[in-house]
Amino acid sequence: MNKELEHRFVTELENNQNIVHKVCTLYTNDRDSHNDLFQEITIQLWKAYPKFRGDAKFSTWMYRVALNTAITLYRKSKKRVQTQDYDSVIFKIKTDEYDDTEEKQLKLMYDAVKQLGDIDKALVFLYLEDKDYAEISETLGITEVNARVKMNRVKNKLRTILNP
Amino acid sequence: MMDELELLKKDWQNKEEHLPKLSYDQIYKMIWKKSSSIVKWIFYISLIEFVFWAGINIVFSDPESMQELKAMHIYNVMMVLNFVNYGVILYFIYKFYKNYRKISFTDSSKKLMRTILDVKKTVTQYVWFNLIIFAITMIISIYGVLIFGPQGKEIIASAMQDGNEATFWFLVITVSIVFTAVLLVLIWLFYKLLYGILLKRLKENYNDLKKLEV
Repeated sequence: MNKELEHRFVTELENNQNIVHKVCTLYTNDRDSHNDLFQEITIQLWKAYPKFRGDAKFSTWMYRVALNTAITLYRKSKKRVQTQDYDSVIFKIKTDEYDDTEEKQLKLMYDAVKQLGDIDKALVFLYLEDKDYAEISETLGITEVNARVKMNRVKNKLRTILNP
Repeated sequence: MMDELELLKKDWQNKEEHLPKLSYDQIYKMIWKKSSSIVKWIFYISLIEFVFWAGINIVFSDPESMQELKAMHIYNVMMVLNFVNYGVILYFIYKFYKNYRKISFTDSSKKLMRTILDVKKTVTQYVWFNLIIFAITMIISIYGVLIFGPQGKEIIASAMQDGNEATFWFLVITVSIVFTAVLLVLIWLFYKLLYGILLKRLKENYNDLKKLEV
């Protein structure tokens, strides 16, 4: 029974690992921290898995646990080292597919998102993942109206970062 | 801005192929690793807290100290204090355990942060309670030593001889208050620092969500 649970969990996580990787990409700046956070999220997912009823989609449930772990996890390095080498691997944009200005714009956008606070990042992440405000508000534990208000503020913040 | 975010969204969703890929075995190994989350840290610190303060009580309850207390006629007061102390400690451990169990990473972010902060609050209250008990014990002990202790009698007698009894008592009270206050501030600073480092970010994030409601 336990073996079966383990197998089911690992298989589901293996199939949905992109969600966790994307959270790690947003919340960390280097490969080691990325792996640390991935591991911590995996532990939290596994701990919560017996309570996962299956009435929600596994991926929806994952978003919540992954973001919660990223938001509450204790990180030693207070200074955010701007290591672009890892980002540029992850956020690699194929030059021949886009024109130069669009590439530059995207790069600036990603950098701006990385400068946001933990909660703002969570909001942007869910937005980028095409989640509606109902799901965003439920995940964060705020009302839908407040989620919209907050999203507008985040957009303003991004605008300020992009056009100082 | 709207367009730029939409652009980002499109790019973001096309990016999956660049993400790392872990194998089944790599993930399987991870589920048995130890968590390093802040919740774990708070749990361990709290355990140390409970053991430390309970330990202090036990250390000061040896038969010799008991005899001394009896000789100083503060035995009964101290016993009542001890009794209350243990009762309250048990209550705190129960409350801590109950709150700790409530922590769930499947709750909404706000609720999760609230429960973590509640656990921390219980521990802080526990520490404050112990500090108050500690201060009361100190004051009763000083009183006991001065009134009933052999050296205390001498000290008072010599103070009387010099004829400045009021000044003497004033000094005793001032010194005990200052001493207790300094001790309390030091311990308070220690906790402020400890939880400050651990929970600063969490608190900021919690307030970030909380301030929307105003």
